[in-house]
Amino acid sequence: MLIGIDVGGTTTDAVLIRNGEVYSTTKVSTERGNLLKSLLNALDEVSRGVPPGQLERVVFSTTIITNLIAEGKTDRVALLLIPGPGVNPESYVFPDSFYLKGAMDFRGREIQLLDEAEVRETVSRIREQGFSRAAVVSKFGQRNPSHELRIEEILREMYPDCKVELGHKVSGKLNFPRRIATSMLASATGERYQEFVAEIKKALEERDIRAPVYILKADGGTLPIEKSVAFPVETIFSGPAASTIGALALTPEGQTSVVVDIGGTTTDLALILSGKPLMASKGAKLGNFLTHVRAFAVRSMAVGGDSIVRVRETGDGVRIVTIGPERAGPAYCMGGEEPTPTDALRVLGLVEVGDLERAKEAVASVASSLGRSETEVASLIVDTTAGIIEKAVREMFLEWEQEPAYRIWEVLQKKKERPENVVGIGGGARGLISVVAKKLNAKPIIPEYSEVGNAIGAAVARPTLTLNLRIDTQQKVYSVAEEGEIVNLNSTDIGNFNKMRSKEAEALAAKLLRERAKRFGISEYADEAEIANSEVFNVVDGWLTAGRLFDVSMQIPAGLIPEWKRREKA
Amino acid sequence: MKLGFGKIRDALKGGAEKNTGEEKKERKEEELEPDRVEEVTMKTKTSEQKSEDASKTESKNEPENEPENEPMIPADRTGARKTGLIFFPAFDWAISPTHPEREERLLYTRDQIFEEGLMDLPQIAEYKPRLADFRDIARVHFCIPDIEAQATIPHRISAGSCLVLADALMRGEVKNAFALVRPPGHHAMTVAHGNRGFCNINNEAILVEYLRKKYGIRRIAIVDTDVHHGDGTQEIFYNDPDVLFISFHQDGRTLFPGSGFVNELGGPKALGRTINIPLPPGTPDEGILYVLDTLVLPILKDFKPELVLNSAGQDNHYTDPLANMRFSAQGYAKLNEKLAPDMAVLEGGYAIQSALPYVNTGIILAMAGLDYSCVKEPDFRPGMFVQAARDRHVLEEIVATQLENWKNRDRLVEAEVAKHGDFYRRKKQIFYDTDMIQEFQEETVRMCPDCQGYVTIDSNAHRSINDTRIFGVSVPIYACASCQAEAREEYRKRLNYPEYEYVYLQDKKADEYRAYNTRKKQETVY
Ligand SMILES: [Zn+2]
Ligand SMILES: [Zn+2]
Ligand SMILES: [Zn+2]
Repeated sequence: MLIGIDVGGTTTDAVLIRNGEVYSTTKVSTERGNLLKSLLNALDEVSRGVPPGQLERVVFSTTIITNLIAEGKTDRVALLLIPGPGVNPESYVFPDSFYLKGAMDFRGREIQLLDEAEVRETVSRIREQGFSRAAVVSKFGQRNPSHELRIEEILREMYPDCKVELGHKVSGKLNFPRRIATSMLASATGERYQEFVAEIKKALEERDIRAPVYILKADGGTLPIEKSVAFPVETIFSGPAASTIGALALTPEGQTSVVVDIGGTTTDLALILSGKPLMASKGAKLGNFLTHVRAFAVRSMAVGGDSIVRVRETGDGVRIVTIGPERAGPAYCMGGEEPTPTDALRVLGLVEVGDLERAKEAVASVASSLGRSETEVASLIVDTTAGIIEKAVREMFLEWEQEPAYRIWEVLQKKKERPENVVGIGGGARGLISVVAKKLNAKPIIPEYSEVGNAIGAAVARPTLTLNLRIDTQQKVYSVAEEGEIVNLNSTDIGNFNKMRSKEAEALAAKLLRERAKRFGISEYADEAEIANSEVFNVVDGWLTAGRLFDVSMQIPAGLIPEWKRREKA
Repeated sequence: MKLGFGKIRDALKGGAEKNTGEEKKERKEEELEPDRVEEVTMKTKTSEQKSEDASKTESKNEPENEPENEPMIPADRTGARKTGLIFFPAFDWAISPTHPEREERLLYTRDQIFEEGLMDLPQIAEYKPRLADFRDIARVHFCIPDIEAQATIPHRISAGSCLVLADALMRGEVKNAFALVRPPGHHAMTVAHGNRGFCNINNEAILVEYLRKKYGIRRIAIVDTDVHHGDGTQEIFYNDPDVLFISFHQDGRTLFPGSGFVNELGGPKALGRTINIPLPPGTPDEGILYVLDTLVLPILKDFKPELVLNSAGQDNHYTDPLANMRFSAQGYAKLNEKLAPDMAVLEGGYAIQSALPYVNTGIILAMAGLDYSCVKEPDFRPGMFVQAARDRHVLEEIVATQLENWKNRDRLVEAEVAKHGDFYRRKKQIFYDTDMIQEFQEETVRMCPDCQGYVTIDSNAHRSINDTRIFGVSVPIYACASCQAEAREEYRKRLNYPEYEYVYLQDKKADEYRAYNTRKKQETVY
């Protein structure tokens, strides 16, 4: 049996899946101050009466990191930065930054030496200033981490209690400011996240649950909870990821869908293109910081079932209806204070919740100031709300079509998909789904168990893994961005580096990916890996080819575990 | 294992020709008797898509439908805060594997600007490239034998990128824009028999004609800062008094293409609108900024162009393998800050590791109005290059001469026009270094009292195996009606001349482009 739990902002949802089907579901309210308690409440309720030995897998998604950051409950981190030439580091907005001399270039060649005296002096300073954590990040540190490593050594020697995060270990991708942000957030949340994980493990032990426990990442993949302490930031936005995977699990295979999760105050959108959830082309934004965290392309807007409906007069005296962004408690028909889209849906008979008379009252108040009939205005409110969502969906598709392209084939590729389905997940304001679908000329789908689609997504998500291999045959080295080690090519079984071809580079990537999957305990998914990108460039000195650069990206993309699929078909 | 690529990439490996099937279908080829040429307009790809897809979310990169000959009004840009950027490194295209114009030319630039996080800056708006239409290319070039042969897919994307940014600029979305694209274009002339100086089609010229046609822009200045003389751009606008072309470059006696001397001032009716500044080899930042301050900026101020374009080559750099100048990343950034072009388009620059990553970072920051003071090459030390006193003197003389020419330009035109009758003729020899073609041309300009006059070109290209002779007629966008009628008659007449393999009509006034294959008796209308 499989358990999926999604700890959301208002409710914590859980499902128990047996023989590939939903066996029981539950919803408990989330206690903002105590996520662990909410999580365990949901776990206990959904697994009531089930012997712990029968549980095969527990997966949960959590907002813990997001909450820690939003509430400012993060630890101070000293940023030891080696920016080298380029953008003036004074323009960065990172707190507690200490800039150091030294520089690497784009091929990892040292172009300025580290000033060890300066490093030592800085270490003394951060200790005096009471920092107990440091993140060390150098520009192009992923191409050559030796400056970062040397600073780590000095820190260990001079200040052994200081916890150190190294930029090249956090992300191997290009983008120094994002690497700084990601390293800083990882360092700032690491300890509390570790505590959280320890508490979960303890609680599960107390319940005698020995099944493997996973946490959902922003890219819709599961990660064994023990491994996740090394990548706390990757668990941000796992809620929307859970909903998207849930929609994937609950809709026909291979189709293009918009996943719409309408809540009280916000609506989240995600896209599934020909059966594959769309990833954001760049990393997620967390608070004010752009990061390297891989995430689904999700869009959140401040409109929901409980948004306040108002009448506003435009400059030329025309009265129009506006929806949100504020909310004043629940819908009027549910005992709230202000008219809302939910009231309009109730009047039109598109939802069954709340008191019809109160709903009519709410809509009438809007209708009177517009001088139109109640039904007309109810339709207008629903139409306006759906219009906001429709516009956002179209913008998402447009944004995807307009993603920059750096290769000819990418420019020629016709990105012209349009949604076949509008999938409602989360169960909020259901009546809106069909209106949005109609506007998009798509089929509305509200799957069974859609109100716990997020928890289902957590339960049936499979692991994801990425591997970015770079080979420089002139310098006779390779490195895996995710692992940060620079390895001599002599350690591989590739004979003549100068004659190396893409095929051999891809084979090396596949081998390294299998090894990495093994270390993550997900070997059984290694065969799902695909090559996302493979490039080769000649390094030319004068008019002669002096070596080659290979860039191979592999991934185990987001998807569903076979248990779910297999039984769905049966 | 599965592969993440579509068929497109595989198709590309097989060469660009195979890939153009789609366009071929759309083009209407008509066999007709030369004397009864009918008016058939080719349905362009974009207009066809447009009519099919009425969806509201039309891609912002597609050219918009507009009534024929009625330009759109450019939006007010005073509120725009961003710098538009297209980075198109064409990682899957090279002239040949070790040619300077090869796949990884912008690889290290990619590494640097991505690592700097420039694309994340709120002051930068990144756009997606598109293909330039055949019409956009036909507005500038006579392509032999046809447009596909000269403008392969990468060329069309490079040119199309400029047009995407032109639209963003004209819509007021951005304050300025930089097309960081390859392949380059400034050596490509009106007649395109092959590749010259790594160029097949001229990106800036295509951009200028697009801006004029679509947005009714009239006065444009192009400042070519590539180390090589922008001879293609110069040739295309040589008789056009509305386009001011200024090029500074390493002295043509010491570098390809061997032209760009002070006495090349423009055709009779456009004298003084071509300004060349040959620089002594070894000129550092100081010298180029001197020319900018004392000559280029004052002339621009006087000319009052609606737009300033920078043909932004980066081969003046002190490490460039193909030239001998001493310009630095700081110098380039300062140049762009002072010149403040509305748009910059990358041209040459082949020090792909030691210069381009830093120069491009500098230019992007400068155009975006950001601090570029920390951008420098690893080995650069301030003061490492000093202008020789002798060279300084040479520059002072050139500046003085060209200022004088500029001041007297109207009198020069008057005197020159008086020397010619109804037509002005000149013979030219053009060498295509990449493709080893020797071209002989006779260019004829109608000395019209009412407009700049139409142009005809009789061109004969000698290759090792065969010769091709063509005839082209070009009607300027702001031509008078009688020039237009006369020019169209010239085209009609030539269709019966057996000595020409191809005859072209480029009627920019009517936005109508024709190519006639005299052997197959086939006319293509773009
Ligand atoms: Zn030049
Ligand atoms: Zn050049
Ligand atoms: Zn005329």
